[in-house]
Amino acid sequence: MHEGRSSVGMTRRDLLRMIGMTAGSAAMYQAMTSLGFAAESNFSGMPSLGAAPKGTSVLILGAGLAGMVAAFELRKAGYSVQVLEYNDRAGGRNWTLRGGDRYTELGGETQHCEFDPGLYINPGPWRLPYHHRGILGYCKQFGIPLEPFIQTNYNAFQHSSKAFGGKPQRYRAVRADYHGHIGELLAKVTNDGGLDAEVSKEDQQKLLASLQWWGALDKNYKYTKGIESCDRRGFNRDPGGGLSARPELSTPTSLADLLDSELWGALPIGDIYELQQSLLQPVGGMGRIGEAFARELGPLIRYRAKVVDIDQDDSGVRVSFEDSGTPGSRHQASADWCVCTIPLSILGEMPIKVGQPMAAAIAAVPYASSVKIGLQFKRRFWEQDDQIFGGISYTDLPIGNISYPSDGFQGSGKAVLLGGYMYGPDAMRFTAMTPAQRIREAVIQGSQIHPQYPAEFDNGISVAWHRSPFTLGCFGMWTEAMREQHYDNLCAFDGRIVLAGEHASYLPAWQEGAVTSAHDAIDRLHRRAIAHGAKT
Amino acid sequence: MKKSLLFRMLGLIAAIGVSAITHAETPDPAVTGMLGTSSGEAIYEQICQGCHMAEGQGAVGAGHYPAFADNPTLLSANYMAATILNGRRNMPSFEHHAENEFFFPPTWLTDTQIANVINYIRSHFGNHNTDTISAADIAALHAQEPGK
Repeated sequence: MHEGRSSVGMTRRDLLRMIGMTAGSAAMYQAMTSLGFAAESNFSGMPSLGAAPKGTSVLILGAGLAGMVAAFELRKAGYSVQVLEYNDRAGGRNWTLRGGDRYTELGGETQHCEFDPGLYINPGPWRLPYHHRGILGYCKQFGIPLEPFIQTNYNAFQHSSKAFGGKPQRYRAVRADYHGHIGELLAKVTNDGGLDAEVSKEDQQKLLASLQWWGALDKNYKYTKGIESCDRRGFNRDPGGGLSARPELSTPTSLADLLDSELWGALPIGDIYELQQSLLQPVGGMGRIGEAFARELGPLIRYRAKVVDIDQDDSGVRVSFEDSGTPGSRHQASADWCVCTIPLSILGEMPIKVGQPMAAAIAAVPYASSVKIGLQFKRRFWEQDDQIFGGISYTDLPIGNISYPSDGFQGSGKAVLLGGYMYGPDAMRFTAMTPAQRIREAVIQGSQIHPQYPAEFDNGISVAWHRSPFTLGCFGMWTEAMREQHYDNLCAFDGRIVLAGEHASYLPAWQEGAVTSAHDAIDRLHRRAIAHGAKT
Repeated sequence: MKKSLLFRMLGLIAAIGVSAITHAETPDPAVTGMLGTSSGEAIYEQICQGCHMAEGQGAVGAGHYPAFADNPTLLSANYMAATILNGRRNMPSFEHHAENEFFFPPTWLTDTQIANVINYIRSHFGNHNTDTISAADIAALHAQEPGK
């Protein structure tokens, strides 16, 4: 980002950097998907299809969450179900990498995960919002234990390499100072009569009281060094007991320094609908969900099946696939109906017999670049030295953020954190690196936030989603204009084929999008099958 | 969702994103875009090889990324330029768009960068095309696009 001409007061470089700091983070990714595209999951309860027409079969392509939800529910209704899956495991992007796992990315490089037992990263989805009732419903149904995922940690860091001499600031202090200064300004405007036209005198008194409480202002409605501000931002030395009891007050950052630092950019992340506490995660990794589905479905899933052609006519669907265990071997599967959950990044270049509207929709959607990096350290220095228990530190460095484990607190062994989570240009640059370069870069950059990194680093693993052999990208990047033109055509039945997955939802990249799109697709499939009647 | 509502809900992040990129982009040879380089080779190594790989060999998984070696579509520099500007299937566009609807910053290339990386690819990985494309040619392609 070397363009420096001024556009609107700030240089473009500044603006892009700011966007990078805030929007390049994991959370803002969720921000867009939640606020931009989907205010809420339109969950209408678990499916209850009723009985399938006798002898009706469904072929499901892909054993990710959408495919397995469809298979699970359709089998329950009495359909004859078969699932074809490219990988040798189920789950798709619902995936956990643990010690002993091996991952070969496109290009051929194989990484061996050397994490200690019980330690993991989730290369794909890693958070379950409380209102994602579909995915939570399956966790309950399958008895998958959940635990809190800590998103907002008041003691985690906000870091800008260009502010405060590169010294990381605590979230609580940035937040307290920002609220405090805003509160003081608004109180001043109120007391100066600036709100007389908008707010009655009586309400102004209430407003002042609320600003005093909200912003931790003193009796003069000023945000100053004192017990009020320290009660939010923390002390230089905490209150204690005995002769060392006296606390040492901390000094608020000035408004000018705070605004210049741009650290306010990441403050509302935890306020975003999809990222509000309580967030949950499966104990032992997000992959527990896919693993549970795979157990339920058992032999219905055929693994290592690479679909190469999808054909249909009035009587049914025929799919050609190769068994990657025996390269070059061609197999066929057929059924009355097909639920296809293959990502559009792959479906777009596959022969598939559908009409122009669906074909155009399949070809229209580019896939986002994203990278996650898991780092194992010899000890939990973020807990032991920095008192950070779970949560996320945000930085303007390319790694975007550092996310600390939400489990195993105070453990004495090794531990794994998420040492980088990138989108946009940074993700592309990291994708273009070798796995070893990604780890090296993540350790170098993370050292600016945690100087303990070099001494404590043990090993790491990375997943660059554009190099994922089973998705060739992270998620479908729908724009509003594209949705208007193509979304309904993508989701509508074409003959005997219907698509499902996060790409067929208004919840891009969220597992709930996969679940609810599968529910919607099988409901329509069932009604069509009923209309066709039982097979003779 | 209406665009106005969308941006209001996204609040300052989107507002910054929009204001950062709404003014007209004029070709300027001094502008090196977001990578700090106009070198075709460097752009290839930082962006393109993420999918098309270090030797231009592409890759095959459940789907595939096309190889550049002995790829007849490389005969047309305009085809490559159109692909980079518009995207193609799962490959995103690298054009400088007036608005960004996403929560992460766009990755975009200047006309000079696009021309240089095309010329680099067409003269490497076993390709020996001697004709080149210029930044002005790329600019002309922008102008041909509908709605501009």
